[in-house]
Amino acid sequence: MILRIVLSVAIVAALACVPLLLPDAYVNAAIQMLIAALFATAFGYLCGQGGMLSFGHSAYFGLGAFAAIHAMNAVGGEGLLPTPLIPVFGAAAGLAFGLLAGWFATKRSGVYFSMITLAIAELVHALAPHLKETFGGEGGVSTFRMPAWGISFGASGDVYWLALAWTVLCVGLLYLLTRTPFGRMTVGLRENTHRMKFIGYEVHRPSAMVFAISGMVAGVAGALQSINIEAANYVVFETSVSSAVVLNSFIGGVRVFFGPAIGGALMSFFGYVTADMTRSWLLYQGLIFVLVMMFLPRGVVGEIVFRLQGGEEERRALRPGTLAVSAVGVLCGAAGVVLLVEIAQRLFAEAYPGAAGGWPPVTVGGVDWSPLSPVTWLLPALLIAVSVAIFLRGRWRDRAAGAAARSEEATR
Amino acid sequence: MEQLLFAVLNGVIYGLLLFMVSAGLTLIFGMMGVLNFAHASFYMLGAYFAYSLQAWVGFWPAIVISPLLVGAIGIGVERWFLRRVHKHGHAHELLLTFGLFFIFSELVKLVYGNYPVDYRIPDFLRFAAFELGGLDYPFYRLFIGGVAVAMFVAIWLLLTRTRVGIIVRAAIYRPSMVEALGHNVPLVFMGVFGIGAALAAVAGAVAGAFYTTNPNMALELGVIVFVVVVVGGLGSLEGAMLASLLIGLTTSLAVAVDASLADALDLVGLGDAAREFGGLLDADLRGLAATLPYFLMLLVLLLRPGGLMGEGD
Amino acid sequence: MTDPVLILDAVDKSFGEARIIRSVSLEVERGEKHAVIGPNGAGKSTLFHLCSGQLTPTKGRILLDGASIGGLPPHEVNHRGLARSFQITNIFPGLSVFENLRLSVLRRRRRNWVFWRGIAGLKETNRRTEEILAQVRLTARAHDLASALSYSEQRALEIGMTVASDPQVILLDEPMAGMSHEETAYAISLIREIAEGRTLMIVEHDMDVVFSLADRISVLVYGEIVATGTPERIRADARVREAYLGEEAA
Repeated sequence: MILRIVLSVAIVAALACVPLLLPDAYVNAAIQMLIAALFATAFGYLCGQGGMLSFGHSAYFGLGAFAAIHAMNAVGGEGLLPTPLIPVFGAAAGLAFGLLAGWFATKRSGVYFSMITLAIAELVHALAPHLKETFGGEGGVSTFRMPAWGISFGASGDVYWLALAWTVLCVGLLYLLTRTPFGRMTVGLRENTHRMKFIGYEVHRPSAMVFAISGMVAGVAGALQSINIEAANYVVFETSVSSAVVLNSFIGGVRVFFGPAIGGALMSFFGYVTADMTRSWLLYQGLIFVLVMMFLPRGVVGEIVFRLQGGEEERRALRPGTLAVSAVGVLCGAAGVVLLVEIAQRLFAEAYPGAAGGWPPVTVGGVDWSPLSPVTWLLPALLIAVSVAIFLRGRWRDRAAGAAARSEEATR
Repeated sequence: MEQLLFAVLNGVIYGLLLFMVSAGLTLIFGMMGVLNFAHASFYMLGAYFAYSLQAWVGFWPAIVISPLLVGAIGIGVERWFLRRVHKHGHAHELLLTFGLFFIFSELVKLVYGNYPVDYRIPDFLRFAAFELGGLDYPFYRLFIGGVAVAMFVAIWLLLTRTRVGIIVRAAIYRPSMVEALGHNVPLVFMGVFGIGAALAAVAGAVAGAFYTTNPNMALELGVIVFVVVVVGGLGSLEGAMLASLLIGLTTSLAVAVDASLADALDLVGLGDAAREFGGLLDADLRGLAATLPYFLMLLVLLLRPGGLMGEGD
Repeated sequence: MTDPVLILDAVDKSFGEARIIRSVSLEVERGEKHAVIGPNGAGKSTLFHLCSGQLTPTKGRILLDGASIGGLPPHEVNHRGLARSFQITNIFPGLSVFENLRLSVLRRRRRNWVFWRGIAGLKETNRRTEEILAQVRLTARAHDLASALSYSEQRALEIGMTVASDPQVILLDEPMAGMSHEETAYAISLIREIAEGRTLMIVEHDMDVVFSLADRISVLVYGEIVATGTPERIRADARVREAYLGEEAA
């Protein structure tokens, strides 16, 4: 317990030092990572704790963003609600709409629930452009951060600290919530709603409440985004916002509390880093997601936690040697796929002359690749083959070791 | 008046198109319990493949070969992806198809670019079916509707009149029992998945030439198709048909009617108050057409949660 | 001696055309152990579903302590003091054994909406959970996942969850199904213990269990109660022998 508190404080302290150590561009990226982590935590709370898979979380994020924008324009960062407290409006908007939508959505479960959340988000998405006064039409709504509490909020460091404070507050409170009776009731809903009814639980109200809390935290994340970019546009209601949070959270792993946050932060970091290098980031994101769903169904963080807590057999994958081999496999595979995708992307690009203009080489990673040279295609193929071989070997070994352990147990 | 007739006709045709895509989705759901997010991707792939193929082999072979290719992809998805994660439950399967949907869209963007491709109706099909009030009605729309009706009849005959169809219907209700009777249920699942994908691809190959073929077509149609399946009742073919037509007609008529909610409120004398209130109430119904399917879905979920033809939860 | 706690009064249940329960009337005495037996498909589980709120009767009344519970949602029925177990094990597989039981206690003590205190601080709830844990002899497995338990341990856990609601009436739906002979003997003693001071209604196929445990037995055949009485009377009843026991003996 004490170790945990010390560790948490250390992590927060380290995060707080980011603006002092890194250049501005990276601080901006870090702000986006915090927002993505908070948003993913909100989604993960609903999905991992409450067992409700929402495909429409953009609605709560977006409403939070617009609530914050309008609050900033109306209050002007003065009085009782200065800039640092603006996310309260995002929270209120997310909570209110979350209660309404959650009331409908949680009347059903499973696939139906998912479809209702998607439909509600699409409804908001389709309506937003028609409500120009609220959502500002094509141009969106913009605002300015006002100084407050002696802080100018002009530098990105100030915004970072604001975002960090809110993220830590919300994630921390949600985490504590999971350890209360209400939190235990929530996992009961996830595990077996039917049984809950027969031990005396009315399940609709708590489900709607969990949904609303998730919407509230998503609203805070949206508000932080508005504060950060000083604008909001109805683009925040797009399906891609909802899908990104689903992908990120499951890549991290929704069953461990901090899985979605880590997934969200990492994926948003990769997105930021690769934004200038590739046009295919979304494809990579999709590929990572599908691979994780197929081979690491617990998610990346979930798998690590599972292995750390497991017995000898689970821990075997964490030995330095095994880990190094796995890393080589992952890197080879990633390099092969990226090379292939990037070469293909340039070949299919409109600027490429194709057959008519001959087959000039394309440049990827500073190297010219001729589409007619076998090396161009053999190298990525080889890299992928190495990766697959390493993976198959690992699986074969796992199986053999598992069988050996079982037979040993049997003879004992 | 002619305009209204055109709107009804367009609505029916659009509804039939929705049916072509939702038929496979609802069959797959009914049978395997998997809500296939990637289903609309098959529709998109059908259109793109047909576009590429027609340059080589001509229009008719293209709209035949394209669904076959997509059907093969569908079989691969079931065999190598879905079956692997089956043990993790339906939510996991849903998420996996969601990821595949993402990948298909991005691959299409990679190969064909972000903008619509120039997939057009062949010249020999570009003529007016009839004229009404001085307006030509394109034959191709009727062609789309005809394909959909033929498909409905074919599926229906297949399901009710053939041995395979009986096994499929039985597998929907009692998969373990059908397996116990010695039928190869995984094979049946794979087949249904492939056929479902191919059906969606037929819709894409035929309709892509008339509407636009772009990388967002899967998402745009996909969400509406979900609405169709939920409104119709998951697993019900007749329900899918009914809901498709209902949604096709409401959307098309809303576009045709030049009015706002405030105009409707005029009937009870509240029109001006509504206009003053502004916002949604004063918005043009034409602009709100896209939102009607969702309202319809929420209404159905509240009043008849199992869908129009469904059987409860 | 009549002080019925659970009364079924001409209860009917139909699914479409099929009439599964046909005008069943039954009085379960306070404190008795009442078994319901009958051939497969007689409607025993349906009867339990009706009493516990899973299904709504088509006709007739169900009274618990004089108040009508027919058609109430399951949680309301539970609040009024009737809890049940299920024929097919119905637990929280991804939670620890301790948490499975604590969820039940939590609701019983009405602490489930508490969001301002840690769960560890609820001393009385945790103590009561430990108590039930010991009663169903799962203390050693308290921190294992419920899904990791053996079949008979899961059955014991399910009985524990039912008792943890502290009901006056307990319905157990085939608690011994699939158990070995030894496990059954152990389960009988467990059920005797938890039924102390409560009313028990049990569906069971194992006739040895039924006759050793029950104070009274009702025989349900094709949705109708053909006989109710002490084990001796039921054993002697010609109609029962014909309709049911005869089948078993054959």
